[in-house]
Amino acid sequence: MVKRLVARAVLSAFLLSGTALAAQAAGTLKVAVDSNLNTLDPAKMKGGQEYVAAYLLFNGLTAIAADMTLKPDLAERWEHSADLKTWTFFLKKGVKFHSGREMDAEDVLATITRIQDKATGSTARVNFEIVESMKAVDSHTVEFTLKSPYSGFAELFGERQARIVPRDALDTLASNPVGTGPFQFVSFAPGDRMVVKRNPTYFEAGLPKLDEVVIRILPETASQVAALTTGELDLAWNLPPEAVDKVKATSNLKAEAVPTSTWDGVIMNGTTKPFDDVRVRRAVATALDKQAITQIALFGYGTPTHSPIPPSHPYFNKDLPIAKGDPAAAKKMLAEAGYPNGFEVTLYTPAGRATRERLGLAVRELLKPAGITVNVQRVPFDVFLKDIEGKAGFYIDGFFSRPTIDTSVYPWYHSRGSWNAALWNYSNPAMDKLLDGARQASSEEEAKKLYGEVQALAVQDAPGVIPYVINHVNGVSARVQGFTSHPMMFLDLRNVSVGQ
Amino acid sequence: MLLYTLTRLAYLAMVLVVMSILVFLVTQAMPGDVASMIAGQFASKEVIDAITVKLGLDQPLIVQYGRWAAGILQGDLGRSLVLEQPVAPILMEALSRSLVLAVVALAVVTVIGIGAGVLAAVRRGRMADQMVSGVSYLGIAVPDFFWAIVLVLIFGSYLKWLPTGGYAPLADGFVPWASHLVLPVVTLVLMLIARIARLTRSSMIDVLQTNYVKYARAKGLPEKVVIVRHALRNALLPTITVLAIDFGLILGGVVVIETVFSFPGMGRLLLFAIQRHDLPLIQATILIISTAYCLANLAADLLYAFVNPKIRHGMGNA
Amino acid sequence: MTAASPTRAASSRSAPKRWPTSLVLGIALLAPLLVVAVAGPWLAPYPYDEMNIMSRLQPPGPDFWFGTDEYGRDVFSRTLVGTTNSLVMGVAATAISLLVGVPLGLVAGYGRGRTDEIIMRCMDVLMSFPPILLGILVLAVTPPALWKAVVAIGIVYVPQVVRLTRAITLELMQEEFITAARLRGESTAYILFHEILPNIWPPLAVESSLRVVFAILLGAALSFIGMGAQPPSSDWGLMISEARPFVEQAPWIALCPGLAMGITVIGINLLGDGLRAVLDPRNTGGH
Repeated sequence: MVKRLVARAVLSAFLLSGTALAAQAAGTLKVAVDSNLNTLDPAKMKGGQEYVAAYLLFNGLTAIAADMTLKPDLAERWEHSADLKTWTFFLKKGVKFHSGREMDAEDVLATITRIQDKATGSTARVNFEIVESMKAVDSHTVEFTLKSPYSGFAELFGERQARIVPRDALDTLASNPVGTGPFQFVSFAPGDRMVVKRNPTYFEAGLPKLDEVVIRILPETASQVAALTTGELDLAWNLPPEAVDKVKATSNLKAEAVPTSTWDGVIMNGTTKPFDDVRVRRAVATALDKQAITQIALFGYGTPTHSPIPPSHPYFNKDLPIAKGDPAAAKKMLAEAGYPNGFEVTLYTPAGRATRERLGLAVRELLKPAGITVNVQRVPFDVFLKDIEGKAGFYIDGFFSRPTIDTSVYPWYHSRGSWNAALWNYSNPAMDKLLDGARQASSEEEAKKLYGEVQALAVQDAPGVIPYVINHVNGVSARVQGFTSHPMMFLDLRNVSVGQ
Repeated sequence: MLLYTLTRLAYLAMVLVVMSILVFLVTQAMPGDVASMIAGQFASKEVIDAITVKLGLDQPLIVQYGRWAAGILQGDLGRSLVLEQPVAPILMEALSRSLVLAVVALAVVTVIGIGAGVLAAVRRGRMADQMVSGVSYLGIAVPDFFWAIVLVLIFGSYLKWLPTGGYAPLADGFVPWASHLVLPVVTLVLMLIARIARLTRSSMIDVLQTNYVKYARAKGLPEKVVIVRHALRNALLPTITVLAIDFGLILGGVVVIETVFSFPGMGRLLLFAIQRHDLPLIQATILIISTAYCLANLAADLLYAFVNPKIRHGMGNA
Repeated sequence: MTAASPTRAASSRSAPKRWPTSLVLGIALLAPLLVVAVAGPWLAPYPYDEMNIMSRLQPPGPDFWFGTDEYGRDVFSRTLVGTTNSLVMGVAATAISLLVGVPLGLVAGYGRGRTDEIIMRCMDVLMSFPPILLGILVLAVTPPALWKAVVAIGIVYVPQVVRLTRAITLELMQEEFITAARLRGESTAYILFHEILPNIWPPLAVESSLRVVFAILLGAALSFIGMGAQPPSSDWGLMISEARPFVEQAPWIALCPGLAMGITVIGINLLGDGLRAVLDPRNTGGH
């Protein structure tokens, strides 16, 4: 260990001496995202394009690496009590905010307090409801006491919203973000571009390599691809699936793809008719051909799955067959449930999410032969959040990857899960038992077995149909070096440089 | 003329006040709400209520309107709820970009449209005339966004001559700045040129038949001088008023054009605001676009009245 | 044209010797469109919403004359069915403007004074918004749907109809036959409906043909920005909008509905020009 540290120190010293030279060659990276950044305040972020900014400007206490393991970030290490209820994080020393002030334990407390405040409206608030109390042990040590044991607590600090922010600049974060990240804020023109420049005092020596990053907001896919081709752009973040083939076919471009556990789903609200009858839900699930849906919605750039657990994960239940779409069987189930002639239902889709809109139309088409007439209603996203999600009977929704299998599954399928009540109102004591058991599983085998049963039960009870997990693809110019796509869809540019 | 102008301005102010009330009420009636937008997926009712109170959205409508209107009169357009920034600077930046589009497009339309109209009038019934009519028919036959897509296809995808979307600030250099303007401007020009060319043509034809022009020709003046000095000057007046109206139309039309070209102007700002239910931003954007539209129309009326003194003594709303 | 008053009842006008070319051309273009608009769903080789994943983004060929879109739906069938949508939208929206606008214009022009003042001030407020903005404003209040877009477009063009109707009514009020009717002691209703209304139709018909064009284009624009027709319907504006990400791989998805729209708009414009020549000879010489 010591040896490795020394080696790293030597390496970084070497890198450091080379930075001046390298920086010049590295230059500016021009990145496109597909929609506007609503806020630059990490606690309030909700969209993928905003998370791009979050990972350029800020750090968490921990970081989820590209191989999905948990790495130190602002915390150099952490420990927990045997009962998993007391967690202590030891912060790195000498880490400076872009304002020049050193980051300390008080900043961490201020950050979390702010996320917990309801008026902030952070989606990460539910994550930290588990915190009973927290305190600064000294200037660089923070201790959290939890209400109940939780082994995944450190992962929460690698999450998107839990970026550590300076306690003395909380009110101006939305427009003038100050963080500890590899890049510091220069300017933001809503609808047009955000510019960030290299943080010269970044705590990881020798990084970042780029001098400047320009994030351009270009909603039109065709424009993004054209600009990539002509060299006006270097990187198109989260390329829509329909553009991937075109990028692959262009000689100076690469399509960097990585499987994720980001999913879209067909939600069937168990408190509404006719979906309160499990036979109806099962009939819908039976009628849907997941492979076909993956083709229609994602042009094949995704993988059919049972639940949010992706097929790329060891816990994925391989023995369970993927639904192939059997309208005749579905019809029979509907007849048993008292709908021999099918029924008519409105399916709501949020506007502006292309894959979810296509998923909605695919469902409409695939349920036709089963006798279910689906009227697709596209609604603006704010209306969707207010009137549809958790309230309507039948709608399309979707969620980004979560860092662990527990955080990917528990909140949706456990009867007391935080998303459950606001999505499909699913409750099955057997499922609760499996999920609680998995949290305390003593071995990988046991966890794998339990999650295998979770998937089987999720398919059988069908609170919704999760047809696929999405591949995250970045369109990258051949000039760009050192870039890999991250399964959490984060944009990690620390090691990236641009050649000529 | 001064009195007429002042009367019209006073009247415009009244219309704008009523309009602002209408905008305010309509935006209040929109479904969805900003508190749940800010709170995001699965926020509990208390969270949404807390945000509602924080933003003052629980106050009576009249209070909210009063606050808003008073702010506008002091040059404060409010704060964007979603972006958490004052609306005015964002709006001004977007407006300036849209204005660049509008002004350049209008300049091109003026030069080419009038030129084509004159050419068609002078060569009435001949090839040039037919071509101008044909092209102008094409220009208005399909919606502007269709032309936009065709242009993107030709110049962006196949020829790769021009960027097909986005904006480059002038600080990046003149060429990048200008190259991002070309396609949106050409689209706007295609949309507007037909009317200008046809109008110029018909008023030119009328003027060319007047005794005034016949007299100038009889005097033995060269044809060029007759057309430019005598005929065009008189024929242009109706065209100029239409150009003023067109300026207002462009400001409305940018909503669509800016979408196709990912151009960060007023139009996309408005759509963004509507999608995020950012009421102060929606209200301010609509107010500014509509005010500019009204001013352009007023300019057209005033120009027309200036040319045609009969109007001044007639009704206010000519 | 001589100064013969165009305001006499239609029967008294001498029929033109020949139909103007523009009218003939316009009818020639529109007649097949009308057939398609009525019989589109039956003429279409495939249901407009039938997906065929095995043949998505196919170029035009013997199976799919105009190719297929990103869902493998037949672009030709969708364009055909879209004709109905567009024409119905244009005509219905215009009908709404007329239904609301003509009575208001008649009342304003005939009543003058206070009534006129109030109606016209309201129209001024409506006209202080650019048309598409007013459409957006109306539509933003409710979840989008095609019929709502139709109503919104109808409302957008009410002021223009009111102004025209009012102007003609004011002009007619100076005419002898109206004065005569008044002296005869005819009721207001009689004068409005039997004397004025029949004389308003010719210029209004010309105006309406233009309104239909504007309505179709505005409707397409609203659908294009997502506030009009909703997927999976086969509205032209929506089709073009949905085709954007695929425009390079599969330009036919956007070009076909665009072409159809071009034919429709040119057809109606020609028809309008022709109608003007026949019905409203005052304006033929001008622009």
